[in-house]
Amino acid sequence: MKARVLTLFVAGLMLTGLVTLAAADNVVVINGYPVITADPATASDWYDTETMYNLYSPLVYPAPEGGVRPHLATGWEAVGGDVTHWRFTLRQGVKFHSGNELTAEDVAWSMTRFITMARGNSGPLGQVTAVIVDPYTVDFLLDKPSAIFPETLALFFPVEKDLVLANINPSGNYGDLGDYGEDWLATHDAGTGPYMMTSHIPGQRLEAVRFIDYFEGWSDEGWGPDEVPIERLVFIMETDYTTLMTLLRSGDLDLEINGGWTLPQLQQIQADENLGLVGVWAQNVTVWMNSKVPPTDDEHFRKAILYAFDYEGIVGPWAQFGNGETGIFLPNMPGYVPIEPQPRAQNLERARQELALSKYAKNLSDVTVAFHFCGGLDFEEEIGLQLQADMAQLGVTVEVAGPPWPQYSASCSSPETTPNMTIFLFGPQAAPTHDYYTYSMFHPRGLGWIFQAHWFFEDPEIVRLLEETRAETDPAARLALYEEVQPMIADHALAFYPYQKPTLFAHQAYIVGPKETIVFIGPSENMHLWRINLSLKEQLRGG
Amino acid sequence: MLIFISKRLFQSLFVLFGLSLLIFFIARVMPGDPARAALGFLATEQQVEQLREEMHLNDSFPVQYYYWLRNLLHGDLGRSSYTRRPVTADLRQYIPATFELILFATLISAVVGQVTGVLAGYFRNSWFDGVSRLISYLGIATPSFVVAIFLLFIFSQVLRLAPGVGRLPIMITPPEAVTGFITIDSLLAGRPDLALTALKHMILPAISLSVIHIAQEGRITRTSIVENMQKDYITIHKVHGIRTSRLVFKYLLKPSIIPTVTVMGLDFAFLMSNAFLVEMVYMWPGFSRYAVTAMLNKDLNAIVAVVLVIGLTFALVNLLVDIIIMGLDPTARLRRGGG
Repeated sequence: MKARVLTLFVAGLMLTGLVTLAAADNVVVINGYPVITADPATASDWYDTETMYNLYSPLVYPAPEGGVRPHLATGWEAVGGDVTHWRFTLRQGVKFHSGNELTAEDVAWSMTRFITMARGNSGPLGQVTAVIVDPYTVDFLLDKPSAIFPETLALFFPVEKDLVLANINPSGNYGDLGDYGEDWLATHDAGTGPYMMTSHIPGQRLEAVRFIDYFEGWSDEGWGPDEVPIERLVFIMETDYTTLMTLLRSGDLDLEINGGWTLPQLQQIQADENLGLVGVWAQNVTVWMNSKVPPTDDEHFRKAILYAFDYEGIVGPWAQFGNGETGIFLPNMPGYVPIEPQPRAQNLERARQELALSKYAKNLSDVTVAFHFCGGLDFEEEIGLQLQADMAQLGVTVEVAGPPWPQYSASCSSPETTPNMTIFLFGPQAAPTHDYYTYSMFHPRGLGWIFQAHWFFEDPEIVRLLEETRAETDPAARLALYEEVQPMIADHALAFYPYQKPTLFAHQAYIVGPKETIVFIGPSENMHLWRINLSLKEQLRGG
Repeated sequence: MLIFISKRLFQSLFVLFGLSLLIFFIARVMPGDPARAALGFLATEQQVEQLREEMHLNDSFPVQYYYWLRNLLHGDLGRSSYTRRPVTADLRQYIPATFELILFATLISAVVGQVTGVLAGYFRNSWFDGVSRLISYLGIATPSFVVAIFLLFIFSQVLRLAPGVGRLPIMITPPEAVTGFITIDSLLAGRPDLALTALKHMILPAISLSVIHIAQEGRITRTSIVENMQKDYITIHKVHGIRTSRLVFKYLLKPSIIPTVTVMGLDFAFLMSNAFLVEMVYMWPGFSRYAVTAMLNKDLNAIVAVVLVIGLTFALVNLLVDIIIMGLDPTARLRRGGG
């Protein structure tokens, strides 16, 4: 009787609207690093790229097996085999968020804008002239031959020409084109991506809703019965992981995509059955050894460092989270070749042999190695301290220092000012990734600065092979070249790689994804590849 | 009074000019390449060099300063190399967030500090005086970020009596920024419920910021009350049998809060640049946090602007404090020729 009365009472309340059965909200709160601009021509960091892949679509898409696959462009070819002249055929029927169709005019104008503004990710493209062939065909004329040009376009996101032109600020630096729409695009979108921006407070918050007419569609194939597309995204931008942990555990945060968790936090997440961890791409922890200053100017001395380091000691508790051996490429990249030392373990005997061969063998006690890391990054300091302890066993002093980033990065502007050893994290953030980890880091015309703080370019065979990688149009043959060049680079011991550091996305159990694993920053954070299980959310959260 | 204010504002201009010169120079000799920082990791050397030219970084220091000053006179503080927006747009976004919070914090510290100070002073050596002294020492000794973490954990996470982080709940889209004060903007948007929510979100961070100032201001007020209570005119009033409440509020409070008002003004300006850790804990998108980000990224234009804003805040708050003191203390009016 009591139960019946109670049921009637609740039913009465529901009818009067005082109580509603909560349905789980189809909203996902995501933490990313601060996104300042949402303009594809100025977005330059991996944080920006995460947003780009949601709001815009690149011309070509990074493929899980390496290389790129058709996306906005359905096909491309080097006209007459000339790798300075590329022709791209565009997909028909692609809609911008405004409802207008994407045409060659938009693509050509976006490329001209990208190159003219000379910001963001346009650097690796060089000078490009865009020519409209017909409404769905566009030609790109390059200032220098490049067989990898199509792959560099994984970071080229066309914008809607007319919409941007309607919103230019006349007081900019680009003559009649004013600011080229830069200010407007920082807080608005003109893209074709799976989500449409609804609001953006730079550095704080970005909101977007699902674009129903997204050209790739929203098929349920491959997803579970209760896994539905996410309707609304709320990107927050917090960098303090104690706060983020609180938000994650209270259910205020659904997905975290920067992975800056500490070891105890990861263990807590792992132990919580309502939370999950997924790692798609990792960062290569790279310790450059400056080949132009003593004592790391000696190849045997550098090799001694490679063998003296206790890899197992430093990975230890992190191994369960995917930290492990890496090399010039990340281990899950196609064409990865394991490099010395093999197996990846400390070998003090071999280190002593190498030291004995070095020109510093007779005065080791006078030798000091400067190991610099970015101040504030504890894991980098730990690597330095581990190396300090390891080298002490060989009678070599290692001085560990952590200047702040501006000072640290500025010191890597020339061989003379670069410390003996500098440590960096290199994630797969530049397209194409294979070229980024090889040509950009080991060719004399590479990216320089922190990317080449080894300053070694004397091996003509390496230089020749790297140039061949940019001239080879056949992806399989190019991969073979990458496989050939890795051991040659490693043989000079220009860097040692303590481990790969996976970026672990923490998520609520009802968030599912990504659907495919692409070793590149951006595509994995494309929410088109993620879903939400609303039944499970309702069950766990009660709405 | 007008002459006094004009004179002080004119003097402030010189102070700000000197400050701008100093910080302009310091920011440029700090290690780091602002052009590189602005363009990101993948920029080519050619692109970096092009931007250096655009930013006049290859020019001499006086030339760079000339360009900066010329733009300033047109209301242009330059473009932030970190946010890639005009610095003025950044300041418009971040200053109100911090200003709103520290206004609330100052209000709390003024009310609570004054009340405890007056009571502790009037009932000196009582149990209340003893307890307030103990709490004050604790408040002064505890860094505000520790208070922030403690309050967040207890009142938001454990007891769930107060909201957690941010200016509004994460799921709520903020109202359109008109003033930047989220409470006012909510009201302007016809959302008093949102204004109330925003106010609730301010409680914990504002208390975190105000604890140390409550303690300081409370102690200063107490000392001042005790000192003034020894004065002859108070003894005469007591002898004449004036009611305690009248004695305190009419004759004792006014002269006793003068030193506290000075400290309160300085505290307010201090918070403008030092609320960083509390802003971090509460995910508060404020000016203090922006200032630290600018420093860490060697964002030249933002650094100079931030320092100038802090300098200007100190100058204006000090002026305001002087005006208030002149209102409270007739002798100060006479000394400054205010009549």
